[in-house]
Order: sequence, then C-alpha cells, then structure tokens
Amino acid sequence: MRPTLEYLRQLERHLLGQHTAAEAEAWRVRQLLDSELAADADTQQLLYQGLQVAGRQQLRRELELIHARLERPSRRQTWWQAATSPLRSLLVRRSRGH
Amino acid sequence: METTAALRQALLADREQTLTGIYQRTFPMVRRYVQQHGGSAQDAKDVFHDALVIFYEKVVGETLVLSASASTYLVGVCRNLWRQELSRRTRQPAISLTDEHTEVAEEAELAEQATLSVLEQVERLGERCKDILLAFYYFQQPLEQIAATHQYRTVRSATVQKFKCLERLRNSVRALVSAATA
Repeated sequence: MRPTLEYLRQLERHLLGQHTAAEAEAWRVRQLLDSELAADADTQQLLYQGLQVAGRQQLRRELELIHARLERPSRRQTWWQAATSPLRSLLVRRSRGH
Repeated sequence: METTAALRQALLADREQTLTGIYQRTFPMVRRYVQQHGGSAQDAKDVFHDALVIFYEKVVGETLVLSASASTYLVGVCRNLWRQELSRRTRQPAISLTDEHTEVAEEAELAEQATLSVLEQVERLGERCKDILLAFYYFQQPLEQIAATHQYRTVRSATVQKFKCLERLRNSVRALVSAATA
C-alpha cells in the first residue's frame, strides 16, 4: 500500500480504537511531533460521520423499495374489489353450478 | 426464535431478503397499532422505517441481544416512537430560548453542515467506491464479502481499494473546505 493509504489506515486504526498498547504510545509521541495529525484525524472522523448519514439514507431507500413491493395495489384489494368481492364469489359459484 | 448472531449473519449475507421477511411479519402489526392510536398508514411506515434503521445498526453493531423475536422487539420500539411522536405533535414550546441555547444550536448546525458536505461528496463518488465505503463503514460487511461482491481476487486488494476510495472522498472534502475558506 502506498504511504498515503497506509497513513489513512493508521488514522483509521486510531479512530476505531484498534491500536495495540505499543501503537497507541507511538501515536501519542507522533502527535507531539506532527501538528497535522490531529487535524487529519478530525477530517477522517468527519468522513465516517458523513458515511453514517449516507448509509442511513441508503438503508431508507432500500426500505422504501421493500415497502413499495409489498404494498403494491395488486397484492392488496382495492376498495372496488373489496366492495364487489361477495358478488364475484356468487357469480363464480353460480357459473360452476351450470 | 432466531438468535441475534444468526440474525446478524442473515442481515450481512442477504440484507434485502432478511429485511423483507421481517417487514412482512411485522409491518401489519405496527400499522394496526399506529392506526388504532391516531396515526395514518404513512405515519406507521415512517415509524417502522425509523425502528428498522435503529434495529439494523444495533444488530450488526452487536449492541443488542434480543430476548424476544425481532418482530416483538420492533413492535415495542415502534410503540415507543409513536408515543414520542404523538407527544411531540401536541407539545407546545414552554420556555423561550436563551443566548446559550442559540449558541449550542449554532454549533450543532455547523457540525451538521460539515457532515452534509461529506454526504454530498459521497453521492459524487462513483457507484463502485460509494458501494464499497457504505458496505464497510455503514453496513459493516466483512471485507471478504466486499471482495467477493466486487470481484477482487484477494481481501488485500479490496482493502487497498477501500482506502483509495476513502482517499478520494477525503481529497474532495478537503478541496471543498479549501474553496469555502479561500
């Protein structure tokens, strides 16, 4: 992995609390020497927050699709079908009787 | 009753099918409850979707252990959410806002704007990058599964691609921030 990507991976391990004790200590020392580190960690945290919101939106879109599929008018009776259902049943029974 | 671990596995393996099954079993109960308590079918859907989002995040994040069925849990959450919504609709603002309140609200608004800027940039990533980032960071799918879905030969390739996508997102957000502050 190239250095920039490795840096992002290190930031991620720090932010997700995946550092070992030794890595955490090295991180504290690095923070003292590198003034950009905290700002970069804040930016990455912001990306994760944005991804959370984007993920929720995606899940809501998927739920809308499931709802639309399950609640299609063809699956449920319309008021007209409901109102005429006894009459249709009667006609079916009578046609079978003939 | 399905265990929480089995449910988590099912949600990770086939989210659409698992959520559809839960939807079919649970939504009619939620709709009945909301409609019997002063709400509409649309209200029921909104409350149910809110509950499902909470439910998904808790189950895949392993912060919930179900002691009853998923349907029972969801109906319980929906009842609470609907009671809160009813109370919100009838509540009147009892106190006026102080300067302190306004300051807190402004800070929250700034944070929200920053998050929304990221959201905008997520939507501008290509489909592949967006899918990979959401699959990992929100839907919490394992990298093995992401690699298989996107036809990467190894988990390492998928990991590198994930960080490349994160880098792209980071660069576009930074460019936006620089443009805004210039």
